[in-house]
Amino acid sequence: MSRVLLVPRRLAAAAVTLALASGAAACGPKSGSAGSDAQPHPGGTLTVLNQNPQNRFDPARLYTSGGGNVPSLVFRTLTTRNRADGAAGTKVVPDLATDTGTPSADATVWTYHLRDGLKFEDGSPITTADIKYGIERSFAPELSGGAPYLRDWLAGAADYQGPYQDKHGLDAIETPDPKTIVFHLDKPEGDFPYLATQTQFAPVPQAKDTGTKYQDHPVSSGPYQVVKNENDGMRLVLQRNPDWTQESDSQRRAYPDTIDVQAGLDPAVINQRLSTGSGADAAAVTTDTDLGPSELAQLAGDGQLASRVGTGHFGYVNYLAFNPKSKPFDNPKVREAIAYAVNRTSVVNAAGGSSLAEAATTYLPDQAAFGHTPYDPFPAGATGNPDKAKELLKEAGYPDGLTITLTHSTSAGTGYGPNLATAVQDGLKAAGITVKLDGLEENKYSQTIHTVSTEPGFFLSGWGADWPSGGPFLAPIFDGRQIVTDGYNFNSAQLDDPSVNSEIDRINKITDHDTAAGHWGALDRQIGAQALTVPLFHPVYKRLYGKDIRNIVISDWTGVLDISQVAVK
Amino acid sequence: MREYLIRRILGMGGVLLALSLIVYAVFYLAPGDPAQLACGLKCSPAQVHQVRAQLGIDDPVHLQYAHFLQGIVTGRDFSTGTGVLHCPAPCLGVSYRTGEQVTGMIVDRLPVTASLALGAMALWLTLGVGTGVLSALRRGRWSERLLTVLTLAGNSVPVFVIALLLLMLFCAQLQWLPFPSYVGLGEDPQQWFWGLLLPWVSLALVESAKYARLTRSSMLETLAEDHIRTFRAYGVGERQLVTRHALRGALTPVIALSAMDLGTMFGSAVLTESLFGLPGLGRLLVYSVNVIDLPVVVGLVMVTGFCVVLANAVADVLYAVADRRVVLS
Repeated sequence: MSRVLLVPRRLAAAAVTLALASGAAACGPKSGSAGSDAQPHPGGTLTVLNQNPQNRFDPARLYTSGGGNVPSLVFRTLTTRNRADGAAGTKVVPDLATDTGTPSADATVWTYHLRDGLKFEDGSPITTADIKYGIERSFAPELSGGAPYLRDWLAGAADYQGPYQDKHGLDAIETPDPKTIVFHLDKPEGDFPYLATQTQFAPVPQAKDTGTKYQDHPVSSGPYQVVKNENDGMRLVLQRNPDWTQESDSQRRAYPDTIDVQAGLDPAVINQRLSTGSGADAAAVTTDTDLGPSELAQLAGDGQLASRVGTGHFGYVNYLAFNPKSKPFDNPKVREAIAYAVNRTSVVNAAGGSSLAEAATTYLPDQAAFGHTPYDPFPAGATGNPDKAKELLKEAGYPDGLTITLTHSTSAGTGYGPNLATAVQDGLKAAGITVKLDGLEENKYSQTIHTVSTEPGFFLSGWGADWPSGGPFLAPIFDGRQIVTDGYNFNSAQLDDPSVNSEIDRINKITDHDTAAGHWGALDRQIGAQALTVPLFHPVYKRLYGKDIRNIVISDWTGVLDISQVAVK
Repeated sequence: MREYLIRRILGMGGVLLALSLIVYAVFYLAPGDPAQLACGLKCSPAQVHQVRAQLGIDDPVHLQYAHFLQGIVTGRDFSTGTGVLHCPAPCLGVSYRTGEQVTGMIVDRLPVTASLALGAMALWLTLGVGTGVLSALRRGRWSERLLTVLTLAGNSVPVFVIALLLLMLFCAQLQWLPFPSYVGLGEDPQQWFWGLLLPWVSLALVESAKYARLTRSSMLETLAEDHIRTFRAYGVGERQLVTRHALRGALTPVIALSAMDLGTMFGSAVLTESLFGLPGLGRLLVYSVNVIDLPVVVGLVMVTGFCVVLANAVADVLYAVADRRVVLS
């Protein structure tokens, strides 16, 4: 009878021996290890460990801020974000174009010229016709997914259905010669250069367009080309594009020879792999996985690991939203009472603590590029001002307190999940406001709060900018003409104030970003005094990177390490 | 026998049809708009409407379901914008989100899940049946008690805890193994093996406990049967007695259980796939449910349902082979 077991035993022994052997190989000296100097050198393979697949890898379908992280390695655009640390990284700079664009006097016509020597991965020259075609195909319903601005801004584009159905194309985009492209807009838009950083402005050669199949192998204009795209972006391998030259690109450094994107990983595993850094993981980064509070606490005890944490700010605000059409939130005093009662210290703790969230009293993020102007119309202090809140409630006709319902998502870790709802609930309790919680499944939550007919009176929400400017932060939320009654609506206060609308139009005409920023800040302050939202916090992003990673650049535009700058040698 | 097979196949078809109907129904009752999600939350109502038309979801539900069934039988054509994408029968449609053929998406991921499930099953059967037989033969001794405790421990720890512990120990602390990643068997068999070793072990540690308990009790029962006593009286050697006669009788419930486990493994090894970064069917299912990608969800439910039904049918046949008293009718 012991014979029965002999075979498994032998196998087990063999397996252990094999495991040891492979371990020895994994621990051996890796070829071409990092040099002793801190200078970045070309070569090697950068591994990207992500949760989310890099799917819909088609420039028409990607929704990016500033062209994205991985997409920007393959798709060059008319303009791009400045690849620099911190606030300098919020600037828009030319990419394929020679400058960030020449506006007409009222900022409705924008003209761009292409640099010399631009080529696709097949060696053919990049022309403005390719850029026009790339934009046009992003209107095709087959290739939906991109940002809505082009449809809103380009003259006569509202009903355009893309070149597959309408071969004539868009008259709003002119290409008088292969190096010049002119955009005609419906209305003045001083932020047009920021929009031109999105991947829809990447050139697509019409002859190579394969519609919905284009995502398998999009034609590269950037430093890398796609050599493998498995399971719709679960594994994406990029290799150097021989037709890209550093001289033609002022932004991307493109040090590694190969970029290997491995997606579909568990966040705990990603952070464990980055901290262990064995084998190829030493030269690894993540573009979508943040460190959580418990992981940060663990890292704090290890100086070597703590030095490998990148900290970034992205323009985002988490806030309490009111529906002033719904009782009792139609009464400004009730909204103000809630603004006074909120305990931002417990809210910040619920969001992961002060290293992951900064308490906010302004709707605009705390960055000059957005036009941040400090204000605090309802000073609640760090932990709330329940006395002032009670006083206001009394004035509003609720001397014995108030019972309200807060709608939130049931997904934890979203910034509008149950832990934040509980923190708000606790703060308001001190002011005599009883908060009932209504948690909804993520998809249902999103649909409920963004539909005018079902919008709750009081809910957790958040907003991120498509580019670092006050415009895309304030207009979708407070411009009365952007209220959508038969679809997704983001103006949850349903504010339609002619003075706000006309001020938005006036600032949109300003093409000097710094001047415009000052006016956006003033408008934010003006709207903030109406207590239509209660800003809670601006999130902070902390991400770990591998031990061989050099040349770390984290801009305030994206808030994450820019992989076009990273070197692994 | 032929009548049995026909009945069996018809039954399978019925189960799959019912499954697809249920998934369609659930999706139309669930919140969320797939067109809005595919287009992006900031899409205007007019644009969402265009996308809805393009995806074919502005048709009445019963018509959509009819198109789906028709695709399985005759295949369907979809527009890529620049051309026509022919989806040959059995066509499960194209993804709302990416426009890829569902059959292709499933075929790409099937080897991953099949490798995981079959390898894990081989391991848990070896471990489970081995310890089961051993503890049956050593009943009452300290080694049996130790095995009982060990198998119970394995069964009580959730798979994600075992998986994380194994990852920490072998990949992070000792660094004996690289962090697993999936490499196809055809690409590099050695890397395929090393990439799947820890996932197999995690699943096997959890599953084998059940098999050990089952094999032990079933083995004890068989060993107490009259025919074994008779064999022993005739002087059949103890080794032969156990391997040829007792084990064979004891295996029937094990076969039935492993068929069910193997089938469900095809759709439900989500945690293991996720922790070890295996791009398998379970992961695709969870992702597709989140983004309301109905064709992918229906396709996956059909395929995993098919695996469960098929595994059970195979088990019934094996049952008859292992135990001649069983008659298929």
